[in-house]
Amino acid sequence: MAKQYDVLFRLLLIGDSGVGKTCLLCRFTDNEFHSSHISTIGVDFKMKTIEVDGIKVRIQIWDTAGQERYQTITKQYYRRAQGIFLVYDISSERSYQHIMKWVSDVDEYAPEGVQKILIGNKADEEQKRQVGREQGQQLAKEYGMDFYETSACTNLNIKESFTRLTELVLQAHRKELDGVRTRASNEMALAELEEDESKPEGPANSSKTCWC
Amino acid sequence: MASDGARKQFWKRSNSKVPGSIQHVYGAQHPPFDPLSHGTPGKAAPPAPATPLKAKRPSTFQEFESSTSDAWDAGEDEDELLAMAAESLNTEVVMETAHRVLRNHSQRQERPPPREAPQPRAEPALAPAPGGDLRLVKSVSESHTPCPAESASDTVPLQRSRSLPHSAAGALGGTSDPSTLGSSASSDREASRLDKFRQLITGPHTDLEELRKLSWSGIPKAVRPITWKLLSGYLPANADRRPATLQRKQTEYFAFIERYYDSRNDEAHQDTFRQIHIDIPRMSPEALLLQPGVTEIFERILFIWAIRHPASGYVQMKVRMLEELVSRIDEHVHRHLERHEVRYLQFAFRWMNNLLTRELPLRCAVRLWDTYQAEPEGFSRFHLYVCAAFLLSWRKEILEEGDFQELLLFLQNLPTAHWGDGDVSLLLAEAYRLKFAFADAPSHYKK
Repeated sequence: MAKQYDVLFRLLLIGDSGVGKTCLLCRFTDNEFHSSHISTIGVDFKMKTIEVDGIKVRIQIWDTAGQERYQTITKQYYRRAQGIFLVYDISSERSYQHIMKWVSDVDEYAPEGVQKILIGNKADEEQKRQVGREQGQQLAKEYGMDFYETSACTNLNIKESFTRLTELVLQAHRKELDGVRTRASNEMALAELEEDESKPEGPANSSKTCWC
Repeated sequence: MASDGARKQFWKRSNSKVPGSIQHVYGAQHPPFDPLSHGTPGKAAPPAPATPLKAKRPSTFQEFESSTSDAWDAGEDEDELLAMAAESLNTEVVMETAHRVLRNHSQRQERPPPREAPQPRAEPALAPAPGGDLRLVKSVSESHTPCPAESASDTVPLQRSRSLPHSAAGALGGTSDPSTLGSSASSDREASRLDKFRQLITGPHTDLEELRKLSWSGIPKAVRPITWKLLSGYLPANADRRPATLQRKQTEYFAFIERYYDSRNDEAHQDTFRQIHIDIPRMSPEALLLQPGVTEIFERILFIWAIRHPASGYVQMKVRMLEELVSRIDEHVHRHLERHEVRYLQFAFRWMNNLLTRELPLRCAVRLWDTYQAEPEGFSRFHLYVCAAFLLSWRKEILEEGDFQELLLFLQNLPTAHWGDGDVSLLLAEAYRLKFAFADAPSHYKK
């Protein structure tokens, strides 16, 4: 099989219902935008391969439903994420306030060392803005996260934020990454190094010989 | 792969049009439609509907009525029409009308060209283009109706009408399966089925067993609303008791509204209501019914339902049951999924949670639910067999794919956009076979 990518990462999108998680993802993977998106049920899955720093990174992105009622399902996906987008909607103060709750979920359910990035989406809706940019920056600083205001609608900072989170994950795994770099034909993917024993979801030690 | 157009989730195309009228299911026709004044075949003969029952409603709901009756009318018209047919109409008149409609219907060989306004009713999508071009009529604006009673259509000019072409003819014609249209043999068959439905429904006492049997293979659109009500126990088998029962239930519902709806902004309920508010505009693949009045109806229904039915966690359990069932039916596929780390919860959660409405075009889901109404424990147990049959209908594709990511993308975006009644019938037949073969199989069959 032709080598399609060097490493594999799992990223997760979380945040309140209706903040635009699916729209961000569709813009990123398909460069499409639909203003009235159908609500996500459970967890959807997409993937894309991007090149960062000369490394072909396959990112699996798990798009979770924001609704409370699905959280027993969506939380099962935290554990194997290496990077997490925390998304709020700049036109919804409430969704911004809830970031705190989402962060504590991440602390509780995601692995230590998971990379996080804060996203204030719908930046195009300036006239409906309820959350100032500096508020977003402030919150991100408190949690030690990078911050982007994005718009899936106008394609603002979409690629940038996905690339940035990918970079952060790459950096966090620099050691393993060097291994991948030096052994270019090595079949072992970073994702496999990250495996833990119990896995409620996702590909793990695939019997397929090659992640590459 | 993610950018592969073929994988695009058809239900995420919010503006897509799906052939076949479905609005009767929701009883939310809009704007008001007077069958007499439009001279639409099939609705011409019976007396003007809609008023008698409504007049009996408590006056406290007058305001509600006046703001929403437009949206309810067609669905109720049909019921009331049938109820009145049972009471006062000579069945022959009904039949004659039905036959006239069906004759008319059978003469339509082709899909009529999409028609622009001002016609308040789009022509039926009787023969959608093969391959189910979902966007065929996407841009046709049929919603700008000149009907003065309906100001909402001015404020919300999009989606609904173009996604829901109304057709009395199409409705009476029954199935929307393109393959059955234009064939006089199948038209005859459909006509005779419709006759049987009408006879059962309009008789003084509907034989529900018979009605179930008949419904298993699909319910003609014209009689779907009342048939669903009868099969689900909403209306009694005894025709004389129907008007009173209907009135009682409606009164009961409006009492719930009075009792609960004001509490939607209370601390305890505001999260529920907010979620409903967020969800309604993105409820449907085909962007249903977005006029303010209709939105409000949905808000009320969902709110009342939500606070009277606290969340239940049965979905995960059903996913586990599906997994077990599939492992018994087709170990090969089961093992293949297991080997590639695909979890049933990743794709089948939605199947259980939304009863396949996200996996199938709406017209197919409605057809599927006809059978669920007819099958004992249709929505609970039989649905599992349908899901197993559904999964295994992609057996070949699944076994050919050896990559987790591709498998999951495939299973989350199954290519059903072109599905019609025929596909659903096959699915149901297979589910029935599985039920027969596996329902009572002792668990030690399981490996």
